[in-house]
Order: sequence, then C-alpha cells, then structure tokens
Amino acid sequence: MDTFKVLIVDDEPDFLETIVKRLKRRKIDVTGVESGIRALELLEQEHFDVVILDVRMPGMDGIETLKEMKKKRPLMEVIILTGHASVESGMQGMQFGAFDYVMKPAEFDELIEKVRQAFERKSIHEAKIKETKIKETRIVT
Amino acid sequence: MPEQSEVFTLISQRYVISLLIVAAAVPAWFTGGPLFVAGLLLIAWAAFLSTRHLVRQILRTNEQKCSLDQQLIQSQKLAAIGELSSGIAHEINNPLAIIGQEVEWVRHILKEEKVEDPQQMSELKESLFEIARQVDRCREITHKLLDFARKQEPLIQSVDVNRLVEDMARLVEREAISKNIKIVRSYNKDLPFVLTDSPLLRQVVLNLLNNATYAVGKDGEVTIETQMGENGCVNVLVADTGCGIPKEDLNKIFDPFFTTKPPGKGTGLGLSICHGIISRLGGRISVVSEVGKGSAFTIHLPGGERKGEA
Repeated sequence: MDTFKVLIVDDEPDFLETIVKRLKRRKIDVTGVESGIRALELLEQEHFDVVILDVRMPGMDGIETLKEMKKKRPLMEVIILTGHASVESGMQGMQFGAFDYVMKPAEFDELIEKVRQAFERKSIHEAKIKETKIKETRIVT
Repeated sequence: MPEQSEVFTLISQRYVISLLIVAAAVPAWFTGGPLFVAGLLLIAWAAFLSTRHLVRQILRTNEQKCSLDQQLIQSQKLAAIGELSSGIAHEINNPLAIIGQEVEWVRHILKEEKVEDPQQMSELKESLFEIARQVDRCREITHKLLDFARKQEPLIQSVDVNRLVEDMARLVEREAISKNIKIVRSYNKDLPFVLTDSPLLRQVVLNLLNNATYAVGKDGEVTIETQMGENGCVNVLVADTGCGIPKEDLNKIFDPFFTTKPPGKGTGLGLSICHGIISRLGGRISVVSEVGKGSAFTIHLPGGERKGEA
C-alpha cells in the first residue's frame, strides 16, 4: 500500500498523544498538533495527505480551520472528528468540503479505514488532474 | 424582448380588426346611412385602440417580468463572481506590480549607453529572473483556480452505502432523541457497493435527515431505508411522520431559494443543492408527501456493483 502522511489536530493532549501512538504502531506516518493555527503553520512547511480535525477547539475552531486548509491545500482530504454530535456543524463541515464526519469515540479500525478511503480519493483526484494536464499540453503542442 | 410569435399575433390582430371594420361598414352604409356608419366606425376604432393598448401592456409586463427574473439571477451570479474576482484580482495584482516595476528598471538601464558594463548586465539578468518568477506565481494562482473548478466534478470511489447512511443517522440521532424523535432503520444487507462520490452523497443524506427531523419537530419517527431499485439502482429512502408538503409546493421544493422556514432560519438552498448533487452523480431524487402525515424522499443512485468486486 502507498504511504501517506496524516496530520491530527486536537486540543486534548491525552487524546492526541494516544491516537498518534496508535497510528504510529500501525506504521502510519502521523504528526499531531494541538490547534488550528499550529496546523496551518505546519502546512506552510510540510505536505500532508489526510487531516483528522477536531471540530471543537478554543481559538480557531474546526470549521474555520477546515476552510483555511481547503484554501491552502484544496486536494488534501479532511476528516472531521467531533465529541459532540451537532447536525449544524456536520452540515457546515460537509459543505466546506470535509471528506467525512466522525463521532468520538470513533472505533479505531473504522477511523483507519476512513483515512485510507480519504487518501484513495486524493490519489484519484491527483491522477485525474494529471490526466487533464497531459491532455491540455497535447492540445497546446 | 417579446416572443416573435407574440409580435406576429399583434400584427395579424391589426389586420383582422381593420378587415372587420370594413366588413361591418359596407352593409351598414346601405341599411343605416352615413351617421350610423360613422358611429360604428368610431366604436370599432375605439375597440381597436383599446385592444392594441391592452396587448402592448401585456407584452410590456411580460417583458418586465422576464427582465426582473433575469436581473435577479444576474445579480446573484454577479455577487458570486464579484467575491471570487476580487480575490483573484488581489492575488494577481501583487506579482503584476512587481513585474511592472522590473520592466521600468530594465527600460531605465537600456536607455543608458554602456549596456555592456558587467554591472548593468547583471542587473538586467536579475530583473528578468524576477519577472520570470512573478509569472510563475501568476501561473500557480490560475492553476489553483482550475483545480478548484475541477473539484466540483464528482470523484468516483466504491462506497458502502449502508455504512455511509448509518454514519449520518448516528450524527442526527442524538439531537433527534432529545426531541423524542425515533430513528427507524431498515438496511438491505445485500446492497451492492455503489460507484459514487461519498462526501457528496453524505451531504445529501445528512440534509434529508435534517429536513426530516425538522418536519417532525418533536414526538415522531424518521425512517431511513436502503433498498435495491429498478435497473440495478440503489435507493435510499428518508421518510418522516412530520407536517408534510402541500400539493402546490411539491413542484417548487427543489427550486433554489424556495423555503417555508421563517426568515433567517433557512436559505432555501438545501434541497436544490441536494437535487444538483444527485443529478451530477447520475441519479435522481423523488418525493411523496401528504399534509399532516409526512414526507418520503428517495434517492435513486445508479451503478451498483457486486459486493467483493470493490
């Protein structure tokens, strides 16, 4: 299977630490940060394929972070994680281009499966863009 | 602009009326004398004028209505384009300003005679390099825009619809339970995987579920069902025991900006977006409703594949 890079954004240090540890044990390249602002800063320097994003965070909340992320990296897929099921924020999240909306506590294997699907989607998307770019250059030349 | 056929009827109407006037005047001349004919002509003329006036009025109102509709659509489009283009303009203006400045500088150097001077040469090269860099920056911006436009196209993956629907049902359930609304599930276990765009489908299912709980208000049921449809279609049904939709509204519910919610409570875009998404996925969405009993929306998705082929 292709390797991919995952970024996890959550303000609860205990949760963040545990999930990073568990994903690393599954040989997934994962980085954890504790706020939306930190995540956006990191995106300036590093590239990630899939982001797992907590919706409720102090400062910049998940939906705001999602919007900024999609502006910066439109192809990167974002899975929103929530401790508190809110239909309103779920609808907003999907509207602003989140791949999925998962409730805490998420079943670990299920979460990994969603990350895998999100990565598959990103790969399909990239392949499609490559294809159209080749077509475009063919038309030009 | 009035329709051509309407203009045509207007012209032909004039002919018919003048013919009628002549046809009425000739026998009247023999029976009633000139005064009677004059009266008749006057009445006919008045009728002709008033008809013409009315027809013109109708055409004008029609035209005004069309142009108002057009204006509304146009202004919405303009608002969206305005927002987008101010962003693009801002992004592209900065590199353009730098390019302009460098061009000025190159011109300035070229005006002087000693262009062979190594110092001048290196300045020229530096300017050219900077211009090329800014052009790249602009290119990057336009590429990003193209990527964004492409993002609207569905991305097809093999999707477990039962799983997807259950995820959304769970999301709605907690709020539903607090209003004493029961979520009833009935999933077809043998449902094949469907080749579709999962985030788009999630958006539609969540929207329908949210509408269903809104229609119930409190104390009721929302049923969510997956079934095999005709021609290998996979159907997702979301039904509620809510207020129902009046017959006269049924053909309007998918129109953009149609809403029965109080102002500020809904944009009236939810169902029109759902409709747009499902058509983009090659499917369709249907509705059955009865006032006081509830509504049932069905998403018909094409392209089921056998389980295990995924």
